[in-house]
Amino acid sequence: MMRSSLTIALKDLRLAFAGSGGLAQAFLLGLLLIFVFSLSQDVGQRMDAQEAAAIFWLASVFCQVLIFSMLYGLEESHKARLGLLLMPAPIQAVWLGKMLAGLCLLLLAQLLFLPALIVFLGQNIYDSWPLALLALLLTDIGIVALGSLLGALAQGQAARESLLSILLFPLLIPLLLAGIHLGTACFLPEAPENIQSWLGMAASFDALFLAAGIFLFSFIYTGDD
Amino acid sequence: MLLALHHITKRYGSRLILKDISCTISKGETVLLSGANGAGKSTLLRIMAGLSQPTEGHLETELLPENIGYLGHDTFLYPALSALDNLVFWAKLYHKPHTEAALRPLLARVELERSLHERAGVFSRGMMQRLNLARLLLLEPSLLLLDEPFTGLDSHSSSLLRAEITTAVQQGAGIVWISHDITNDCSMADRLLTLERHRLVFDGSAKAATLPPPIASHPLGSLPS
Amino acid sequence: MPHSLLLCLIWGGALSMAACQWLIYVYAPTEATMGIMQKIFYTHLPLAWWALISFFVVFLASIAYLRTHNILYDLWAKAAAEIGVLLSTLALITGSIWARHSWGVWWTWDPRLTTTLIMWFIYAAYLIVRNLDLPQMRRATICSVLGIIAFLDVPLVFLSARLWRSIHPAVFASKEGGLEPEMKFTAIACVLCFGMVWLALLGIRQKYLAQQHTVETYCLREE
Repeated sequence: MMRSSLTIALKDLRLAFAGSGGLAQAFLLGLLLIFVFSLSQDVGQRMDAQEAAAIFWLASVFCQVLIFSMLYGLEESHKARLGLLLMPAPIQAVWLGKMLAGLCLLLLAQLLFLPALIVFLGQNIYDSWPLALLALLLTDIGIVALGSLLGALAQGQAARESLLSILLFPLLIPLLLAGIHLGTACFLPEAPENIQSWLGMAASFDALFLAAGIFLFSFIYTGDD
Repeated sequence: MLLALHHITKRYGSRLILKDISCTISKGETVLLSGANGAGKSTLLRIMAGLSQPTEGHLETELLPENIGYLGHDTFLYPALSALDNLVFWAKLYHKPHTEAALRPLLARVELERSLHERAGVFSRGMMQRLNLARLLLLEPSLLLLDEPFTGLDSHSSSLLRAEITTAVQQGAGIVWISHDITNDCSMADRLLTLERHRLVFDGSAKAATLPPPIASHPLGSLPS
Repeated sequence: MPHSLLLCLIWGGALSMAACQWLIYVYAPTEATMGIMQKIFYTHLPLAWWALISFFVVFLASIAYLRTHNILYDLWAKAAAEIGVLLSTLALITGSIWARHSWGVWWTWDPRLTTTLIMWFIYAAYLIVRNLDLPQMRRATICSVLGIIAFLDVPLVFLSARLWRSIHPAVFASKEGGLEPEMKFTAIACVLCFGMVWLALLGIRQKYLAQQHTVETYCLREE
């Protein structure tokens, strides 16, 4: 299954970069959000670290809604979805492959968002950034696990991006709170409180929704339209 | 026996599609599936392929998913990838040799060798279906399920497709083939299954069925009996 | 649900709700600090509890549908989700009125209230998916998956809201505090009476949906 997942992930990454701008839209949306939020600050004013972390994650989640909408849309133009359903590997390989591709694209987007945070929201990077990086990875894993599951669910609907957004945002709240709180480690000289509890929260979320993806994906991704 | 259907019933919600269908498909047998529009032919084929689950009844087969080849209206291709890259992707998923050297002869068989590195998105319908055929031949299937494969094809592509199907039959593959042109295609099949009002109303020798004689010197040629 | 049982629940719910009003406004003493506004608690608590139980019913019915593909389970899930969203809306409104009177703000990031709000968002989205133009089976399957994911998320939402609140020390005291025995009795009685009303609402709604489904399928049946 891992081999099939990697094959699907590499194919998706290739198509994402070769595509007609779907990926660029996702990145631009995130950057725009960060810039627009900077308008709430006076000139020269530095945004609170927690606010900045919240905007970073907001931009990330909106970006990944477009990412998964694009990734699942790749299988619909010539119904390659049916071909994937016929492959010898378990169908969860599609969920895992799209998840891995989504994770790579999201990390790439966040590489762009971080400088934007520094430039537009006046943030600085402090010594506890390795903790923030661990939190980022844990949070991203949960976001893409759920995003891949719900991306398949929303596929085929006329307003799939807005549907995916209203489904995803409330479900991601626990994870986003963890990401925001631990993310402040990057922008503050002192480490945040309750690090272990929040890392545990993020890890629990990841475990729960990785399991949900494995068990529930086969119900969503079928040949019945 | 390649595949056996036992009392297959399919409903979409409350809408009845198929009712109590039972039949077997044997090795080296060419089975024609006929019926009016909406009789349930495509649904039955998708159930045989494993793309759709029956509401009642079950399938019995010794075939693995990778031994079943399905060719429908959709080509399962990625327009942004080249002909070669499309085949490489499916070859990797099915654990087949996926180097250019291994796949070039396959593309030559379907007369797409010169379009090896061209994007599939610029192909004509006929070329797309030929590439789809190459994808199918890659699997070396024991059972071929064909849903009106000649729809929209030019005569050259149709001849190529018929020749490959003939070869597959000679190599012992079973074929289930949906046709609307029963007058011409009946003489090319061993057995005929006819669906009417969701039920199987005829299951017998294609040549024994009371049909008008095939048109002489059919421009698309004929399969040997 | 049998018709006779439904009738019993309707009558029982009506009479017990009437009894509840007597308990709330006559039996239970008026709280010293908050005055008569404290009595909103006797409505708010059952609304929140039975909203949560509604969503648990959605969870169970969703699992049952995925296992059996029996459309009746899907209808139970739909009915429970609608009632759950209604009850959580009322719980949020009553909670806000309480907060406004107690602390001068319409909203506090109380973990329970926050969890109720997030659950409201999740199940409101669930109801939107319910109304999408999809084949019945596909819609039922999608909603079942959503119904399972949504409820699995609820404990995480509550824990994270509580953890978040612990970083920002509570300005506002817990709304329950210490309750007089009469108040406790009234609160428990209201929860139980609301339960009967909830069961009646659920039964009525599910019965309606089942009859609607029967009429629709009768017209479509092609056997």
